[in-house]
Amino acid sequence: MTAENIGRGASAEAGHSVTGFSIDPDEEAVVIVGSGAGGGTLAYELTAKGIPVVVLEAGPYLHNEDYVNNEWEAFNQMAWLDPRTTTGSWRIARDFPNLPAWIVKAVGGTTTHWSGATPRFKAHEFKARSVYGRIDGANLLDWPITLEEMAPYYDRAEKAMGSTHVHGRKPLPANNNYKVFAGGAKEVGYKFYATGPYATNAEEYDGRPASIQDGFNFQGDKNKSKWSTLVRELPRAADTGLLDLRPESQAVQITHNADGRADAVLYLDKDGNLHRQAAKIVCVAGNSIETPRLLLLSGTPSFPDGLANSSGHVGRNYMRHLTGTVWGHFDKPVRMYRGETMAGVIADESIHDPDRGFSGGYYMETISLGPAFMASFVEPGGWGPDFAALLDRYLNTAGMWIVGEDMPQESNRVTLNTTVKDTNGLPVPNVHYDDHANDLAMREHAYAAGQRVYEAVGAQTSHHTPPYPSTHNLGTARMSERPEDGVVDKWGRTHDVKNLFISDGSVFTTGAAANPTLTIVALAIRQAEYIAEALRTQEI
Amino acid sequence: MAFPAKYPSLNAMEMTDEAKQTLIRVLRVAFPHADFPDGPYLRTAEKILIAADEETWFRVALIQGLLSLDQLSDGDFCGLDDDSALKVLRRVESTEFFGFVRRTAVLNLYDDVEVWETLGYEGPSFDKGGYINRGFDDLDWLPEPRIVYPEDEPLPELGDGVMGVRSGSAAGDDSTNQPAPQSVEMGEVKK
Repeated sequence: MTAENIGRGASAEAGHSVTGFSIDPDEEAVVIVGSGAGGGTLAYELTAKGIPVVVLEAGPYLHNEDYVNNEWEAFNQMAWLDPRTTTGSWRIARDFPNLPAWIVKAVGGTTTHWSGATPRFKAHEFKARSVYGRIDGANLLDWPITLEEMAPYYDRAEKAMGSTHVHGRKPLPANNNYKVFAGGAKEVGYKFYATGPYATNAEEYDGRPASIQDGFNFQGDKNKSKWSTLVRELPRAADTGLLDLRPESQAVQITHNADGRADAVLYLDKDGNLHRQAAKIVCVAGNSIETPRLLLLSGTPSFPDGLANSSGHVGRNYMRHLTGTVWGHFDKPVRMYRGETMAGVIADESIHDPDRGFSGGYYMETISLGPAFMASFVEPGGWGPDFAALLDRYLNTAGMWIVGEDMPQESNRVTLNTTVKDTNGLPVPNVHYDDHANDLAMREHAYAAGQRVYEAVGAQTSHHTPPYPSTHNLGTARMSERPEDGVVDKWGRTHDVKNLFISDGSVFTTGAAANPTLTIVALAIRQAEYIAEALRTQEI
Repeated sequence: MAFPAKYPSLNAMEMTDEAKQTLIRVLRVAFPHADFPDGPYLRTAEKILIAADEETWFRVALIQGLLSLDQLSDGDFCGLDDDSALKVLRRVESTEFFGFVRRTAVLNLYDDVEVWETLGYEGPSFDKGGYINRGFDDLDWLPEPRIVYPEDEPLPELGDGVMGVRSGSAAGDDSTNQPAPQSVEMGEVKK
């Protein structure tokens, strides 16, 4: 079966492989939970080294041609809509109480709707505790790894993803939204503005075509110009003949033997039937809400607080980036919706400078919504003449998103809500979040800075939009040098269970200002090397 | 129009045309777009009625809500001018009725092709080849901007407010919550 055809046809049984290659359920396999940035990358890197893997993906196998250029239709097709609950003082709990996160449930995970921005972390962002110092209420910790150690993996991730602006990749051209954004940046004296790095082809690369600037990113890219594990890692893994990919297979428990080693993953197929896959290694990459949920669902008398949770940190230190949006309204047309949505970044405010009144930094990045999403998100709960006026200015609106480092807090936390069950009868995850004072100060600074950018090129009015449901979910199984400070070590291997790995953004010790996908991919490439070596030496 | 719930006829009740007209008026006042034609408002009202039909609680709330509007308007909400009608809606803003109407309206009114055309949004574009040859960069009232970072300057990392890494202060200040740094590479900190 060729890569183009995987997942097509009705031949595969529920809960079984769709690639033509399958591993016996009783054979102890490398089992990866999730097929997004972390899981999909890991699957490719391991199969490329000759190691067969089973990938359990909760969502269906959607292909690029299945995507629709319509915001709500695409949302209902792709988004993770299983019930979740929220608590805390963040506005999401009021505006979108059952949608804490906007992520994808499909093969390829959230890489199939991500925007594409690929900044690296800065050196000091791996050392937030040392550089920012003690911050009340923040649970800061240095990463157990450095930028220097990560640099070669960042290189490999950027090449895999085809990031523009680096490794000889051509930059994307300026679209209308960027012209306003960059024009304003120049006027206010910012220097570091550009159309990337951005993991969408400006020209043909890696067998995929150049962007046709169709303006649909959050709805899935029908043109395959944007990198995702759906277009690159998963088909290539399938081509090795070593990928057993099981869509609509949601992991619900990791079991362990008497020695405390993970020995199998239990999962539900689309019909609700339970399956068991024996495992010699389990890698969890279910995004930062489902990953801790799975560990918490896997508690036993040996692991009473959940698997790999002797530290008590599983589910804690949930981060979701600062986020906010600034819209500028002009007296001339912008047509921001034409072109690559987020191909524009201003990096001047991404520095750490305590003189601004907060620690950490933020990027400004172009963003655009269609009228349907604009109405739902621009001023949640809004109506009346002022609200209508925001939509009336649509044609003349430019938009930017703010993405900045939020503080890890122990009490910001994913837990099991045992009073609400999903369709399978399992407790849903509850996401609790309170903004830290540092987050609030940074957001105010960013709103003002964004507004200045637009005013500098003639904005007549502007509007500040509160955070959308979280697209950057991080930190709930964080990396730490010492077992008591976090869940995994510098390789993403849990401190408590030696053959259990976490392979997604859950491992982020702190969030940095950068969009996280590049770092998740780089960490997964690095982790694959470690796992391959551990298998070779039979250390695991 | 509102009957006690014990009347079985309630479940069979259908919205009158008058109720639909009132609903359209609510939408016009709550989401006042001078340039929108009638079609989107009519279609949105119909969507609200369908949604209400699917959920008894919404239907009860909608019937009661529309009745309240008339009660708050001396009997005829539709007879009020825009300003007066807006005031009445503000008085019912926190009701179940208005929340349901607002939510459903926001989801549907702006997901309408006629509305998109009025606002200047072009809808699906992939089938037309995207905008690569159809004006993705046709904004001409600002100069062409630079699209790469300055070549001769590295990206900034730390601002002037950073006096140096605070390694010393944390040394005797260790806790599980905020452990002191075990090692700090001062050499990487630049101004």
